[in-house]
Amino acid sequence: MPVQAQQGIASPRTSAGLGGLAPALILIGLFFVVPVLALLLRSVTDPVAGLQNYAALLGDGTYARVFFNTFLVAFVVTIVTVLVAFPVAWMLAIMPPALASLLFSIIILSMWTNLLTRTYAWMVLLQRTGVINRALMSVGIIDQPLPLINNLTGVTIGMVYIMLPFMILPLVGTLRAIDPMTLRAAALCGASPFAAFRRILLPLSLPGIAAGGLMVFVMSLGYFVTPALLGGTSNMMLAEMIAQMIQSLLNWGLGSAAAFILLVVTMALYALQLRLVGNSRATGAA
Amino acid sequence: MKLIFAGILAGLMATTAAKADEMVFTSWGGTTQEAQTKSWAEPFSASSSIKVLQDGPTDYGKLKAMVDAKNVTWDVVDVEMDFAIKAAKDGLLEPIDFAVVPKDDLDPRFSNENAVGSFYYSFVLAWNKGAVSGEPASWADMFDTKKFPGKRTFYKWSAPGVIEIALLADGVPADKLYPLDLDRAFKKLDTIKSDIVWWGGGAESQQLIASGEAAFGQLWNGRVFALEKDGADVGVSWNQNLTAADVLVVPKGAKNKDAAMKFLAAATSPTGQAEFAEASGYAPINTKAKAEMRADVVKGLPDAHVDGQINLDMNYWAEHRDEIAKRWYAWQAK
Repeated sequence: MPVQAQQGIASPRTSAGLGGLAPALILIGLFFVVPVLALLLRSVTDPVAGLQNYAALLGDGTYARVFFNTFLVAFVVTIVTVLVAFPVAWMLAIMPPALASLLFSIIILSMWTNLLTRTYAWMVLLQRTGVINRALMSVGIIDQPLPLINNLTGVTIGMVYIMLPFMILPLVGTLRAIDPMTLRAAALCGASPFAAFRRILLPLSLPGIAAGGLMVFVMSLGYFVTPALLGGTSNMMLAEMIAQMIQSLLNWGLGSAAAFILLVVTMALYALQLRLVGNSRATGAA
Repeated sequence: MKLIFAGILAGLMATTAAKADEMVFTSWGGTTQEAQTKSWAEPFSASSSIKVLQDGPTDYGKLKAMVDAKNVTWDVVDVEMDFAIKAAKDGLLEPIDFAVVPKDDLDPRFSNENAVGSFYYSFVLAWNKGAVSGEPASWADMFDTKKFPGKRTFYKWSAPGVIEIALLADGVPADKLYPLDLDRAFKKLDTIKSDIVWWGGGAESQQLIASGEAAFGQLWNGRVFALEKDGADVGVSWNQNLTAADVLVVPKGAKNKDAAMKFLAAATSPTGQAEFAEASGYAPINTKAKAEMRADVVKGLPDAHVDGQINLDMNYWAEHRDEIAKRWYAWQAK
């Protein structure tokens, strides 16, 4: 790669530019491209050459269920995150800037707290003998603990909490760019608040929702810690299955194939994101 | 290319590579590794001037990666015995140098050409006295949700133990357990599946029982020992306790093999074993160790409960590890 760059046949300017990029290209090649290629190679050569690992993954009911779980969890988490994030983002967008930046820093602060700590905190809150169940039982709302953990509910709560900042940030940017006069105009024209939301605010905020939503969805697909701790074995997601294949079964070929499938799906979704919302609008908003 | 991948992986992990007068010991962390450090590593370093660096937790994937990449940074590793038998077959382990490690007093159940015992333990039935009315007396009670309602906790990973418990609870006699009837075991497990909470590590099992999050469960006896030491209100039944062992192995190509063998000699010595057993509640694998231990500790060891004790068949598991694991995880994910 660097050799090619130095022997570049284009203008001196281009060749100098690429030469300067060499360290970055080597870094990317060494730490990103080579491992991915090695992963792909292993998935079609371990234990013997062929596509048997992919056949096993795609032809087996268990693995199919894990793939399904992975997408189900990512989908549910994305939807709930959008629903929770939207009002928060709207509030942040319209409140006085000083107060908004204070709330922003609180949200950002939660992102900087250790992921494992936050997940364990949710365990303490959600378990059968946890804070939430104890409180509800002591005031007599329920007499049996609610199953809030080791199931889809637990995973969703824990992951939505972790994903919220990734949704709120792009959304606030999009919402702030909307001229408030459009809403006032809608009201003056006799639109109900709901109609104004549905026909003005929602369509105008779609790029932010799409950008944040895809980000959350893609991040959720590969999540490990939170589903492993708050989910049950029947909600197992792909990342946990890959860890099992690599660590416990020592079946690296199968694990590599599963990881590669996940990578391809993620890349496809990323490409979709770029196509749908465009590069600048997706990232430039926040 | 395979080698490059493994090389990068091992290179990234090679943070603890030891120098000539050092070696790396890897175990499972927590109270167990603390006890191993205190009972084995510290006295060994004092007498041999070989420094023992601690690493962990044990990770079979990492071990294989190191050996494949020929860049082994662990010198002695504490592993489950069924894994050790399988790993030896796959060529991942060095043979033990029994010229350095005295073999005569080692319990033959837990040592072979490529491994010496680390400690042995029993799976016992433990419960939170505040969360359970009555006293569960057998594994069958753990499957009786009418008599004993509440969540029950079992070991999450595919390993000797839970399958056997299900079969025993279903009435299979102890001497007819092997070959394991997996269909029957999973059918029995299905009857309580929605009441199972899985524990993935020892600390988690302690927390589940102590908090009453699970009313009862299948625990390592050392963890029940630790709970009792902390004053938790737990009951324990040794009826049909199931023994299994951890063993110490030296990965193929370990850089400090000589130091490793000397370490194994110290760890499996009567004194090393006695001290570790007193600290952990796990049983010594050196038959002379008990003579050096306090009588009240000896009374709490798995081999004080040989009545009705069942030895999990490590060789059977080593041979069928992969196929059982595949079914186990498929059943769990259902």
